[in-house]
Amino acid sequence: MKTFLRIVAGLALVGVVALLAFIFVPVQRTQPAEAPAADWEPAEGQGEYVLHASDCVACHTSDDGESLAGGRAIASPMGTIWSTNITPDPETGIGDWSYADFRAAMIDGLEPDGTHLYPAMPYENYRLMTEEDIRALYEYIMTEVEPVSNEVQETELSFPFNLRFGIRAWNWLALTHGPGFTPADVPELQQRGQYLVEGPGHCAACHSPRSVFMSQDGVTADEDSFLAGGVIDGWNAPALRGEGTDLAKWSVGELAAYLATGRNAHSTANGEMGLVVEHSLQKLTDEDNLAMAAFLKGIDGDAVDLPESFATAAGAIEVPAADSAGSATTEMLASADPDMPLGARLYMDNCVGCHFATGKGAPEIFPELQGNSMVVGSETMPLISVILNGAEVPSTAKRPMALRMQGYADRMSDDEVAELVTWLRGAWGNDASAVTAADVATVREADHGH
Amino acid sequence: MTDLPGYPSRRNFLKASAAGVALSGLAAQAKAQETTPPVPLEDYDRAYLTAAEWAFVMAATARLIPSDGDGPGAIETRVPVFIDLQLAGDYGTADDWYMEGPHDPDAEPARGWQTPLTPAEIYRQAIPVFDAWCEETHGATFAELDAERKDAALTSLQNGDVALDSEIRDFFTILLANTKEGYFADPQYGGNHEMQSWVYIGFPGARAAYRAWPERHNEKYPLGPVSISGERA
Repeated sequence: MKTFLRIVAGLALVGVVALLAFIFVPVQRTQPAEAPAADWEPAEGQGEYVLHASDCVACHTSDDGESLAGGRAIASPMGTIWSTNITPDPETGIGDWSYADFRAAMIDGLEPDGTHLYPAMPYENYRLMTEEDIRALYEYIMTEVEPVSNEVQETELSFPFNLRFGIRAWNWLALTHGPGFTPADVPELQQRGQYLVEGPGHCAACHSPRSVFMSQDGVTADEDSFLAGGVIDGWNAPALRGEGTDLAKWSVGELAAYLATGRNAHSTANGEMGLVVEHSLQKLTDEDNLAMAAFLKGIDGDAVDLPESFATAAGAIEVPAADSAGSATTEMLASADPDMPLGARLYMDNCVGCHFATGKGAPEIFPELQGNSMVVGSETMPLISVILNGAEVPSTAKRPMALRMQGYADRMSDDEVAELVTWLRGAWGNDASAVTAADVATVREADHGH
Repeated sequence: MTDLPGYPSRRNFLKASAAGVALSGLAAQAKAQETTPPVPLEDYDRAYLTAAEWAFVMAATARLIPSDGDGPGAIETRVPVFIDLQLAGDYGTADDWYMEGPHDPDAEPARGWQTPLTPAEIYRQAIPVFDAWCEETHGATFAELDAERKDAALTSLQNGDVALDSEIRDFFTILLANTKEGYFADPQYGGNHEMQSWVYIGFPGARAAYRAWPERHNEKYPLGPVSISGERA
């Protein structure tokens, strides 16, 4: 019996020691596989370009705040995470961070004192960036960004998520790749696209599914789940590969135009993707947007047809006619038959002027509703919210006209919006579930709360 | 209930509404929203007009667009409400018009609004003058006359046979225009109740999308109207 108790006590002691070690032994920073040459200098503008490609501004700038001075609320399933000040202010920003400190944040999600960053910071993806790009970004922030004194609200998640040492275990699961970039066996342009998509662009943060531990399921291009579609804050981040997706129907040029201008022949970027276009993608070179489009279109091994140019001034663009899947709905609407279902009648009374009886909208202005990932998505909140509150597509350098859809919250009741949304999700060959007036009421209520 | 003299009775109102239903096609009507009926005109809480002015506007508009014709009249479509609200609002006060003068009320009509009075002031000044003329000529105020005499009185007013000061000489023109406006305007302004006038003439309202229709000659567009606020009929 004594022996048994001794064993139990011994095991308990080992457990306590292990736990204390887990909490208090500093995490080792991942060392670079190969460092740039000692005399390496970033090219002119490289750091700023990496900043744009990595979309740092979108999270590290609050709505009314100075660029990169932090303070934006990032909604997460665990609670609100406040983005930090990454200007080189020594007191409230990262002014006294060494390059090794900065690199550890980008690669391992560690603050200089070893505290774990919440993975809202996409170090799962940034650790795939090249040493040169991380160095260039560091030097740009330290030497060219104005320091801004801005004390940002501390992130205070509820138990157990406030125990940041727990992220150590999470990282064992999430950081099984990298650091550094491994190009796939594809042409050079597509490799460049792969790098931008996997690393700085951190597309997988939204467009890959999440594992049961909330880590990205599919971080690199060699995984089948990479960019297979995710759900973020009630929005579908659509799958960027596979049959039946929006992208399967788009050409390389149409996809590149969407990235560079927030609009193409089929769709427009709003919500989170609108912000990505506004703050990041429109600032990249045509070649890089083309590279990402080419990589994404070829991700499943299909041949990639590169266009000579995209999003050039084209004059009048023809409005597409109905296709076979959509012709029955189109004819029913065009008949103006008073016996049409209420959802269709509401479409005639509110939507048809822009999105047309074909449901195909008009290129670069009115998004196509047939097969639209937001219309048929598993998450219905975004579509309901757009109908109630409208939507905005940002002005971009190549397409300066900001587009605005009005909201219909005053024009339609919850019942009517539910009828309309349910009808839209079954029109023109769409095949998605019905929504209820209660679903609409929930969205209407949430939007009032903002 | 006692019907006000000369006004269409509630029964006539219902009959006229029923005619509207028949004209618009039962199916479209069935898809109109369920709405609570508005307050009856006789209980309406006026925004600008006095009781006597209201009685006149009710009686006059009921003759300008009568309820016993093919389509709905000014009363079922609540044109008096439209006029009352307009006179209480920016139109009545000529809020965004140039009203500083110089005014020349005797100017040719082609020279536009030359009176120093606002539309609301013209109603206020002209109605008592016209009612006095009716009493003198026909023995009662306008609202108390029978339909035939009302028509005769309005014809005299239109032809300039009622002596009116230059400042209010255009009263009939204004009244007729406002009556038409109340009949055909979007229902959000108080008239064209339930879009009855649009249903009657086959105007589909604020839909503004007929790409499938320009080539379809001599074919009736069957779908009922929608208002700016989304009402269906």
